Amino acid sequence: MDMRILLQRTLRAIAGFSICVALAAQPAPPKYDPVSVARGQQAFVASCGFCHGSRAKGGEKGPDLLRSVVVLDDENGKGIGRVILKGRPEKGMPKFAMTEDQIVDIANFLHQSIYSAADRDSYQTLNIVTGDASAGKAYFNGAGNCGSCHSVTGDLKGIGAKYEPVTLQDRLLMPLDFGPSASTKAVVTVTVTTPSGEAVSGPLLWIDDFTVALRNSQGTYVSFARKSDVIPQVEVHNPFKPHSDMILHFSDAEIHNLTAYLVTLK
Amino acid sequence: MMTKQLLLFALLPIALGAQILDPVVLTKPATDAWPTYNGDYSGRRFSTLNQIDQSNVMHLTLGWVFRVRAGAVPGAIVGGEGPAPVEGGPPNPDLSTIKATPLMVNGILYFATPDNAWAVDARSGHELWHYFWKTKGGIHIGNRGVGMYGNWLFFETPDDYLVSLDARTGKERWHVEIADVKQEYFSTPAPIVVGNHVLVGTGGDSLDVPGFLESHDPETGAIQWKWWSEPLKKGDPGSETWPDEYSMRHGGGMTWIPGTYDPELHLYYLGTGNPNPVLTGRGREGADLYTCSIVALNVDTGKLAWYFQPSPHDTHDWDAAQTTVLIDGLFEGKPRKMLAQANRNGYFFLLDRTNGKNLLTAPMVDTINWSKGIDANGQPIPNPDKEATISGVLVSPPSDGVTNWPPPSFDPDTGLFYVGVKESFSEYYLTDTDPHPEGYAAAEKYITSYGGSLLAIDYQTGKTRWKHSYIFGGGPIGILTTAGKLLFAGDGLGHLLAFDPSNGSILWHAGLSDDVSNGPETYMLDGHQYLVVGAGDSLYAFLLE
Repeated sequence: MDMRILLQRTLRAIAGFSICVALAAQPAPPKYDPVSVARGQQAFVASCGFCHGSRAKGGEKGPDLLRSVVVLDDENGKGIGRVILKGRPEKGMPKFAMTEDQIVDIANFLHQSIYSAADRDSYQTLNIVTGDASAGKAYFNGAGNCGSCHSVTGDLKGIGAKYEPVTLQDRLLMPLDFGPSASTKAVVTVTVTTPSGEAVSGPLLWIDDFTVALRNSQGTYVSFARKSDVIPQVEVHNPFKPHSDMILHFSDAEIHNLTAYLVTLK
Repeated sequence: MMTKQLLLFALLPIALGAQILDPVVLTKPATDAWPTYNGDYSGRRFSTLNQIDQSNVMHLTLGWVFRVRAGAVPGAIVGGEGPAPVEGGPPNPDLSTIKATPLMVNGILYFATPDNAWAVDARSGHELWHYFWKTKGGIHIGNRGVGMYGNWLFFETPDDYLVSLDARTGKERWHVEIADVKQEYFSTPAPIVVGNHVLVGTGGDSLDVPGFLESHDPETGAIQWKWWSEPLKKGDPGSETWPDEYSMRHGGGMTWIPGTYDPELHLYYLGTGNPNPVLTGRGREGADLYTCSIVALNVDTGKLAWYFQPSPHDTHDWDAAQTTVLIDGLFEGKPRKMLAQANRNGYFFLLDRTNGKNLLTAPMVDTINWSKGIDANGQPIPNPDKEATISGVLVSPPSDGVTNWPPPSFDPDTGLFYVGVKESFSEYYLTDTDPHPEGYAAAEKYITSYGGSLLAIDYQTGKTRWKHSYIFGGGPIGILTTAGKLLFAGDGLGHLLAFDPSNGSILWHAGLSDDVSNGPETYMLDGHQYLVVGAGDSLYAFLLE
């Protein structure tokens, strides 16, 4: 197996992440022409929003258009246009005189809204900082025992400016960097001791029930067959164990307070 | 290639006019066939074969490898309603990953991936035919395989068609649309054939559409009955668990994993998917029946006989679609007809399958933190504080669950239920604050995993008898047990392993070119017991030297 893939798989397994989750944090590019969507939104709010709601999710009189089969089946405004131009008098919807371009804009606005609702990878978090920064500071210096590894004037200096709050919150829970750039960071290490007593340590590259592999101090890839759980002896050192242990006991309020505190470390 | 295919056809030992799959084979545990998704209707994935056993498993050797070539490749029979695929470009790995458990009937394997179906000689791994479906779209995440009735095969497509092929030639007989791909339905299940019913489910989470199970006529494709997984109007049973008709008609409840069947009770058992919107309960206050439920349907009418809901008012995407495994055995000293499910929400459930009464509910792992306990009916009580908020809540398990679709196994010899699990956490952030949220309505950020394990659960107590943990790897992975006192499963790290099902010792392993991606299966052919497993884009066949 390609060394790079093997490393990525190991890191992925350690982090519990898949690379695609990392990439998913990037908002998806708009599927429909943003200029047309913006014009369509303006026209929709002005002409249609009174009945269908300004977000097209339904109002007092008109149905939710994001779940409408007419809209879902529409292609480039053709189906939507028929309803706009003719109206639905039997349901109390008047007809609207609109140009073809206006109809295409409204269709693009509706299709982009549906795409955004359906594409969970494009969802944006809101203002997540709701915690009490002073309670977070007290936790940091007290019950959280964070100072045993971290310092707000050292490794965490300016961390509130470095990351978005949501990233900061996720990283305080589990700081492991992942993805291709992680290959430059020694994260999890292993010591393998053979029956003859020779011990080799270094960044862990792979481990399963049958093989363990690491990069030794010379930078060389070394692998060992595992004959049993104890031959050779394998000790994995996970520097993030304190975080793994904390996750089992954290309350959501403690997490929110800590985030609120870390955000202030600009 | 063409000459080879024709030659193979000439050698096929099938008399014209004879039925390839005798329907009787479906009604008993088969040893010389694997005629339905789970091998038989029980969902146990236990084989009575014992040629391969603990004394000789270390002599298993590779018989053949079949690597799929998906798409409109030369020689493929092409069907479908979509446009011709774009030439060139990188191959889509989702089209080549084998999640199906192949059927094996009369020496031929039949299986599918999204948009593709194959027949392969079970002796040699040679391709007999390949059918390719031109798609109109839909999510191409996986396909769990084909169903068979006589000479006819059935499979579902990501753009929501049920396609029937002639098993002898791979030629299409007909296709019928089962759902609208523009409403974000996509279909992955293997159809299950019971009598003259082809049972067909579907999937789709993105746009708040209702789930259903359909029965189709195997000859014509005509619909025989349709069961909706939610009530359709106020006053219908279950409607009291929704605020209004609008919410129940957009309430989800997909039917995306094949069910199991009890011929004596004439009931088809099925787990249903999560309610919609997926990650918030606003707009659908109540238990949201029959989402996240185990249901028993009369197979001739589609009428609901009973239900049990493992996740009332789910807000974490933990559908209860996982395989419903039928167990006949003792419970509290008395013989019972039971149904067991290792649920995505982290609990193991044991029911009386004659009436749906809960016998036992037990957590499978220690990390789950979303429930306030178990109520008198055996249902976990959701903690509302663990529903997504704007500032985030830390929840175990993540949306992909403690376990998932990969098939578990029940071994009647050990009395143990085997399932692959993982212990993980996510933060759930509410992103849609509208009183009527849509789609998922929240973003999920995966935080960490404490690793995966293979669990052996005593079905009578719910307690774990043994656990094989992987430092990295493991998790929900397909399992097979056999009367040779063997358990076969992958480790998520590129190996196929044989375990002692009584204690979890590893007896044999083989390195494959990818992770095990389906449920392993076994059958007798020419006096040899074959072990066949899918890993990524290849099927591997093992047998004794």
